Amino acid sequence: MSVLKRLTEPKSLETMSPLGSVLVYGALIVWSLVVLFPLYWIAITSLKLPIHVSAGPVYLPYIDFMPSTHAWHYIFYDLGNDTLRPYMNSIVVALVSTVLAMLIGSMAAYALSRLEFAPRLASILLFIFLGGVMIVAVAGFGVPWWIAAVVALAIFLLLARAVGRTMRASLGNGDILFWIISQRILPPVVAALPIYVMFQSLSLLDTRTALIATYTTVNLPIVVWLMYDFFVTIPKDLEESASLDGASRFAIFFGIVLPLARPGLVATGLLVLILAWNEYLLALFLSSANAQTMPVLVAAQNATRGPQWWYMSVLILLMILPVIGLTLLLQRFIAKGLLLGAVKG
Amino acid sequence: MTIVLDRISKSFGQVEVLKTLSLEVNPGEFLVLLGASGSGKTTALRMIAGLESVSSGRIVIGQRDVTNVLPKNRDVAMVFQSYALYPHKTVFDNIAYPLAVRKRPKAEIESSVRDVARQVQLDQLLDRFPRQLSGGQRQRVALARAIVRRPSAFLMDEPLSNLDAKLRGHMRAELKHMQHELGIATIYVTHDQIEAMTLAHRVAILERGVLQQLDTPANIYNRPANLFVAGFIGSPPMNVLEGSLTQGRFECGSGSFGTASTSSGKAVVAGIRPEDGRLTAEGSGHLAGEIYASELIGDHTLVTCRCGDATVTVKADKDFDGAIGQRVGVGFEPRVVHLFDKATGERIS
Repeated sequence: MSVLKRLTEPKSLETMSPLGSVLVYGALIVWSLVVLFPLYWIAITSLKLPIHVSAGPVYLPYIDFMPSTHAWHYIFYDLGNDTLRPYMNSIVVALVSTVLAMLIGSMAAYALSRLEFAPRLASILLFIFLGGVMIVAVAGFGVPWWIAAVVALAIFLLLARAVGRTMRASLGNGDILFWIISQRILPPVVAALPIYVMFQSLSLLDTRTALIATYTTVNLPIVVWLMYDFFVTIPKDLEESASLDGASRFAIFFGIVLPLARPGLVATGLLVLILAWNEYLLALFLSSANAQTMPVLVAAQNATRGPQWWYMSVLILLMILPVIGLTLLLQRFIAKGLLLGAVKG
Repeated sequence: MTIVLDRISKSFGQVEVLKTLSLEVNPGEFLVLLGASGSGKTTALRMIAGLESVSSGRIVIGQRDVTNVLPKNRDVAMVFQSYALYPHKTVFDNIAYPLAVRKRPKAEIESSVRDVARQVQLDQLLDRFPRQLSGGQRQRVALARAIVRRPSAFLMDEPLSNLDAKLRGHMRAELKHMQHELGIATIYVTHDQIEAMTLAHRVAILERGVLQQLDTPANIYNRPANLFVAGFIGSPPMNVLEGSLTQGRFECGSGSFGTASTSSGKAVVAGIRPEDGRLTAEGSGHLAGEIYASELIGDHTLVTCRCGDATVTVKADKDFDGAIGQRVGVGFEPRVVHLFDKATGERIS
């Protein structure tokens, strides 16, 4: 056997050839460095004095430069509560909005995966049309909004059936699912101004409530979309069996379906949590002093005095740590084979 | 409790899968719904369970009209073909589930589950998860879960079809014994005629959503109501010969013979079960033909003969030794001949 062949031929179907493993592991090592280096850089930057940052790159503490805890001291003692408050804000907003989005989104996804919906296209168009008329009446002709709303609703209820009879086309679950996902295709920033005005008129600007409501809404489509795929893989037999065993729909959902969708719940929950944790733009619009979250605080370190890299690094480390911890903690729940033994021999 | 199906039918869009089915299951009775796939038997069962809506007609369990009652309120238990065990629950929790959702006291649940588990020999496996069980054990968990709360009726959808042949035979006997012990009305769906014949007090044969015959296994075998039932029940199936009847004497291309009937002049079909026929020497017997194939089964030999246009299978002795192409006769008693109207397929008595 030639040397080339021995290098490129795997020993068995389950293994890689010697050359292949060198290439693959080489690429993985390079990529690991690409991923890990920024983390290292942030960690050492948090220990640098401003002079070390501005005077050109230094890489190794104690060798290139003398580490200093001045940035940590500033963040924890000088800022003190001004660090803690955004930190708590971030934790509360991210956790609560994630729980809400998971709860509402899972139920919506479950309904879409199990029940047959067929809204009439005509009714939907009628609803949109009446909504438009209502806006024109309120904005253009000064009609009180609640009169306009009641009239529009009355007309809708009156005409919906008649319109549905003449135009028989209806939508299905697939259309509804796509519509929900399409809400996420639209970048949230497009709606930032209306959302701002809405919370302003509700006097909820700069509150956690506003952020929780917004993040829940923005993340809902992702939850519905991802959880739908998990729910359709759960055999219907299980739920039918449970319903014959005497369980209500809610008992089936919380006792049978959700436990079996746990890997999906954990993965989706983590994703949504991280999205809410890192969200910057809407937080910038909706919060100022009281409800400020960590990403906004990080960005604020680039204020009048120019970018304060050392402070930013400390804050970024503070932001990363809980996410890493949570991911490690929940990883074991993202196990496979949970449905094993449910059906068939 | 009595289960009454009163002219129930089911349509999916334009397709009518069940046509005005009426039948009554007596208290303690084991009724088998037998049919090929697409006969509507599973649909009928799911309608009784409440998993499918009823297009028209009424379902009554006991004294209660349950046509529009949710499955959980019907007080019936069902064993699914797939077993449908809850994979995240232990065997104990699987069996306990029907009691747990009814919020029964803990001590009662504990003792009921242990009782039932002992009955189906699962008491050593209560801490296992379904994935750690064999097919037969999973089957028993499904059974235990069905019997633990003493429902008004059992519904079983091909519960044995996922087991291997040996285990199936064993579970069949256990099932029959257990149903007898519990005395709870049972409706059992299968496509396997052996299961139907061995388990049932009465068998209902369905074909394309229409009830063909509802009778005891013996009557179904001995007096099939029509040609479909005659051909469906029995393995190998009944031999059929087309011909005419003259004063009770049947005539066809390959011979003629007397029957138990006395009518005449009709286009009829005669049916003879393979075990009712015997091979005779050429020239004797009622039909003349030649051996097409001969298969040794073990305790007997199946001999297939060509008699004119028809194929006649006869169950012969296990040491029968005939060459292919050998000319033979087929004989039988007049009373074993089943007669059917050729046009309608109905039995002529």
